[in-house]
Order: sequence, then structure tokens, then C-alpha cells
Amino acid sequence: MDKLAKRLREDAATIDAEISAQLDSRIQASLAAIEPETVRRQRKPRRRPVSFWLASSLTGVAATLAVIAVLNVVDVDEPAAVSRTVADNTMPPIEIPVLDLDVEAATLTGPLARELEDLQADLKKAEEVMRGDVRIDF
Amino acid sequence: MSDELKLIDAAKGGSVDAFTELVHGYREGLLRFLLTRCSSHADAEDALQDTLINAYRYIGSYNPQWRFSTWLYRIAIRNAGKLRKENLAELGDPADPGADPLAHCIADSERDNLWRSAKRVLSDEVFAAMWLRYVEDMSVRDIASVLERSSSWTKVNLLRGRRALEVEMNGTAGNAGSEAYG
Repeated sequence: MDKLAKRLREDAATIDAEISAQLDSRIQASLAAIEPETVRRQRKPRRRPVSFWLASSLTGVAATLAVIAVLNVVDVDEPAAVSRTVADNTMPPIEIPVLDLDVEAATLTGPLARELEDLQADLKKAEEVMRGDVRIDF
Repeated sequence: MSDELKLIDAAKGGSVDAFTELVHGYREGLLRFLLTRCSSHADAEDALQDTLINAYRYIGSYNPQWRFSTWLYRIAIRNAGKLRKENLAELGDPADPGADPLAHCIADSERDNLWRSAKRVLSDEVFAAMWLRYVEDMSVRDIASVLERSSSWTKVNLLRGRRALEVEMNGTAGNAGSEAYG
């Protein structure tokens, strides 16, 4: 080794290049956080969006089928509308109270009297309808 | 298969431990080299960290026909250059004579450190070529690969660098001391 080469080597050795513990831990942390490109490429890409879409679709289809099945089961099990014959006069006749609406008629004015008459007529109609219904059902 | 190649294969498979063991012997040399190329000690440490991260990330592209150190130094030079460009863009003029990290890292001695003289009289590339030749014992072919230059360019500039440093070392510098070679 010539004089210059020796001097260059010796002088380079005097340059302090100690790796501090802090730098060492920084480097270790950085290395632990990454992986070589070759490893990354070898790993199959996770096709999460496609699988997520597939799972969602299957769930939707399953839910639809379940609803259809439930509806069909309900339709089958539902009893057909059967007209039942109920024996007449099995229930006692319903007593409908008759209101005495003429008590204060003398004090009413003309329009109010007409309104009262209308109400009485409506009440009578309703009474007839009710009686008809009761007669049909029972 | 050598131990180094086994470690390289393990690192290619994603073993951080193998990579750490692989580069352990190179770290100080790399940092020493980066201290000569960066504008501060902190920059040199950042460049070392980036170098090791890039080396691990792209270890799959390492070609065993080259020495591993050649490959590492090539990455280191690129990172140091990148850091310097970023500093230029952020800080403008980086030429701060007080910021020379070598001044803080060189032990006091009776004589001047020849690498400080080299930094003064040689261009960055010739300085790197001289460092790789005389400190890292690289061949001309490896140095040419690291610097992405031809072998003839490397030979010529190593010779020029030698002459310039011999002048510095012998203290017979005339005008040569202020001339940047390369």
C-alpha cells in the first residue's frame, strides 16, 4: 500500500460514524414497517370490493328467497274463507237506549231545531243499520 | 452458497432479521461515507435510514454478479443526492461552511484530515470515486457501477484525484489546491 492510500485509509478511520442507539431503533422500526416488493407482489391481492359485493348480493338473494318462502307458507296455511253458520238467537237482543231528545226543543231556535231533526234522523238511520247488521250476523 | 447470499435470500423472503444481520457490517462505513456527502449529521443519518429502507424494499432487484456493498453504495449516493436536492429546494443556498458534518466528526489530530482537503479540491464524483477506491477497496468496475460512469472515466479521475491529493498531502500545493478535479 502506498503512502497516499495508507493516509487516506487512516484519515477515514478517524471520522466518527458511530450508529447511535436512537438511530438504530429508528432504522429497526422503519424496516419492521415495510416488506420487500417481491414479497408484496407474491401475495395475492385481496379483492375485498369484489368479495364484499358478492357477499352482499348473496345476502340480498337469500333474504328475498326467505321472504318469498314465508309468504308462500302463510298463503298455504291460511284457512280458506268459510262461511260459518251460527245459530239464530243465541245471543240476547241488544237493548239500544232511546234518548229523549225532545226535552229542550221548545227553547231551540229554528236552525238548531232543524239540526236536531237531522241528528235524530241520522240516529234513526244508524239504529236501523245496526239492527240490520245484528240481525245478519246473529 | 456464502453466508451473505443466504442472508440475501432470507431477506428477499421478507426476513427483517436476516437483512439486519446482512447490513450490520456496512452501516458504519455507509454513515461515514454519507457524512462526507451530506450537509449535516442529521441529513447523513436520514440518508442512511433511507438507504437501508430502499435496500430492503428492493432487495429483489439485487444482482449477485455485483458485490452487495456496490449495490448499497449506489443506493446511498442516490439518496444523498436526493436529500441535497430537497434541501436546495427548501432552504435555497445550502452552502453553510459551519454545517460541515466532517468538522464535528473528525477526531482532533496534529495533522489535517486529508478527506477534508479532498472535499475542498475534488468534485463530488471524484471524491466519491477516491473514497470507494481507498476506503472501501472497490475495483474500478465496481466504482464505475456505483457512480454510473464508464470504467475509463473512473480510471482517469482516480488518477487525477490521486495527483491532487498527493499535492495536498505533500504540502506543495501551488495553484492545484484551488482546482477542482473531475
